[in-house]
Amino acid sequence: MRSRQFWMVPITVALLTVMFAVAPSQAEVYKMALSLAITGPTSDAGNPYAKGVEDYIRYVNDTKLLGEDTVQCPIRDDQYQTDITKRNFEEFLDDGIVFYLNYSTGSTQALKRDFDEEKIPVIPASMDAGNLVDSTYIFLPIASYSSQCIALAEYITKNHKNGTPQVAMFIHPSAFGRGPVDDVRKAVKAGLKMDIVEVVEHGKDLDNTAMLQRLMSKKVRYVICQTVQSPVATLIKDAQRLGLTAKTFGEDGKLTFVGAHYTGGNDLIELAGSAAEGYFWTTSYALTSEPGKGTDFQMMLAKKYNRDEKTANSHNYTNGMMVAQTAVETMRRVKQKGGKVTREALFKELNAMNGDNAYSPGNTVAPVTYSPSDRAGVDSVQIYSVQKGVFRAVGEPFAPEYVEKIKK
Amino acid sequence: MSANRWLATGNFFSSYREEQRIFATHFDRAVFAVFILALLVWPMCFEVSNKYMLVIDNIMIAMVAIIGLNLVTGFAGLISIGHAAFVGVGAYTLAFIARQMGDSHILITHFWPGMLLLCGLVGALFGGFVGLPALRLKHLYLAIATLSFQMIFQWTINFLPIFNQGQTISIGRVQWFGGEVARSDHYLFWYYVILIVVIMCGLAVRNLLRTRYGRSLVAVRDNDRAADAMGIHPGMTKVFAFALAGFFAGVAGGLHAYLYRGAGIESFTLHQSISYLAMAIVGGLGTLTGSFWGPAAIRLLDLQVENLVEWSARFMPANMNLATALKPLTFGLVIVLFLMFEPRGIANWWRIGRTYVKLWPFRY
Repeated sequence: MRSRQFWMVPITVALLTVMFAVAPSQAEVYKMALSLAITGPTSDAGNPYAKGVEDYIRYVNDTKLLGEDTVQCPIRDDQYQTDITKRNFEEFLDDGIVFYLNYSTGSTQALKRDFDEEKIPVIPASMDAGNLVDSTYIFLPIASYSSQCIALAEYITKNHKNGTPQVAMFIHPSAFGRGPVDDVRKAVKAGLKMDIVEVVEHGKDLDNTAMLQRLMSKKVRYVICQTVQSPVATLIKDAQRLGLTAKTFGEDGKLTFVGAHYTGGNDLIELAGSAAEGYFWTTSYALTSEPGKGTDFQMMLAKKYNRDEKTANSHNYTNGMMVAQTAVETMRRVKQKGGKVTREALFKELNAMNGDNAYSPGNTVAPVTYSPSDRAGVDSVQIYSVQKGVFRAVGEPFAPEYVEKIKK
Repeated sequence: MSANRWLATGNFFSSYREEQRIFATHFDRAVFAVFILALLVWPMCFEVSNKYMLVIDNIMIAMVAIIGLNLVTGFAGLISIGHAAFVGVGAYTLAFIARQMGDSHILITHFWPGMLLLCGLVGALFGGFVGLPALRLKHLYLAIATLSFQMIFQWTINFLPIFNQGQTISIGRVQWFGGEVARSDHYLFWYYVILIVVIMCGLAVRNLLRTRYGRSLVAVRDNDRAADAMGIHPGMTKVFAFALAGFFAGVAGGLHAYLYRGAGIESFTLHQSISYLAMAIVGGLGTLTGSFWGPAAIRLLDLQVENLVEWSARFMPANMNLATALKPLTFGLVIVLFLMFEPRGIANWWRIGRTYVKLWPFRY
């Protein structure tokens, strides 16, 4: 009897060891979600954006970037309607998401309170600086529209010859368009040497002749555009027709058009044709027309998941990829530190993404940095201009100086 | 009236008073009471996700708005293409106060029933004002006047900084018996509030239609000259209809702002006005029950189309663009089909069904 008890102990230990060794490790599923306009207004941007997110998440799971753990990211169409976005968000919360990707400025600001109450980190496609006001959990992917417009204004003042540049702003008739105007005005007040002669809120005009002639009569030389591509295409086509487009930056007696993130990209060239030549555009993303490591990866990803040429080269595809990359990288870092991937852990990790911990996804012109006092991802911007039908980088990426100055 | 008020199989009214009853039989009253009880009790028995609770709340808010639209379009026969703007007036009344006094001001968080009433009254004021052209205009011309109001409303909200230029203005969480309604209880809390409002509005309209004011609406719709000859002021009746519609729309707007905890212009556009009109048509113009059927049908149709698109995405490669075509297509198709084959709306099916049950097992 005694000898039987003696043998039972090592046998049980051995059995338990074998069981634990053979049993598969518990693979985790990290849930995140995206609600955006795949149809309806702005779906031309939303469609490739969704594909960027979808492809990168598939890539993460296919290549086991997180080991045995996988990421689940349902994508829902909200048709650019805040009510539907809210419904989608509630559904995602019921599913137990730990990270959320939103889209429009309107819905991001409408759900701001919900994000804070749920303590869930959110990266929207909207780069409106207003998203960060009275909010803790929203992180912009790149520099805000305000920063972009200030960067354009700084670029104008640095490269303008003969006196103070006379500038007009051509903006979308909404908070998205109007938001940066005040910040540019603040920058002018803080010492940026330029005159804002007129701020034009465009409608659905098919002809801008009168407006362009008026700007010319007011000696305007630069037009900063903060809107979407189609009105800009109409504007620059009209300027070309009237012979008002500058051949070189700041050409005397002509108009030089410059614009923020959502005014440019390949779609603008497609819409405006030759009129897009010499259009200056700013964003924090690297473009496939300027190949590099990050853009090579983008092309590989698009090819791997059978995306067409247009999608593969879209900066909105890059945009979607980049937010997914940032979310997954945050998860990876939490996991690497041995922590559990929760909303709280992800929020902490995002806020620690700075200094040596800054994240370089490869498809941005500078690293992504976040901290409790800075929730705009990539702080630098790159100026591009259309040369022979493609966007080419102009100079080096830079962080606009007046962004910090107007905060004081 | 039938001798047995429980088993009456037809209408045997012997006096106007009997005809004016809210419930024709005791059985009707009992069914109504059980139905209301069920609506009050079911959320305690079944757990519903926040998503679906939000959908249900949203449908009920639309019911309040459609009760108003049905009064002006269904009962008074005046086409209103700007109903979403009246709903918006209610929502922005609350938003304006929130912006001026702070979104968690005691008026908003503690005195929310009073605020809802205020939203309704401001809605009525605007409704009455927009209805003034009804003194001179008729038919399509009047419809254009309401459309103008929709445009003016959108422009005003989009451009004035006091309304945050159309961006969402936040509304604080309300208090209930000294405690803040938590996020987890938010949709359930508003379910009960909206349900009570729907019941009150339904009963109010049912009662209104029994009064001379209610009958004058129908009289003016059927023939305003004849109504005039009978001593009804057609112009004032129309203004009254608009003011009443504005009141219900205003209350709906207030509820919407509280439910979504904010007001933004996107929810009150011309597209929404057309949706409201579609709900009234599909539900059944000029019927009270139609005001309940219409919103439920259209909102659930929207949801089902979304589900269909998502389901089809599994085997259709170009699924992304399917929704673009499918949603407006089904929406338009449903309205056209109803106008062609059932202009009296779902309310008529309900009437036929009720009559069948009432007469069963007899055919006539």
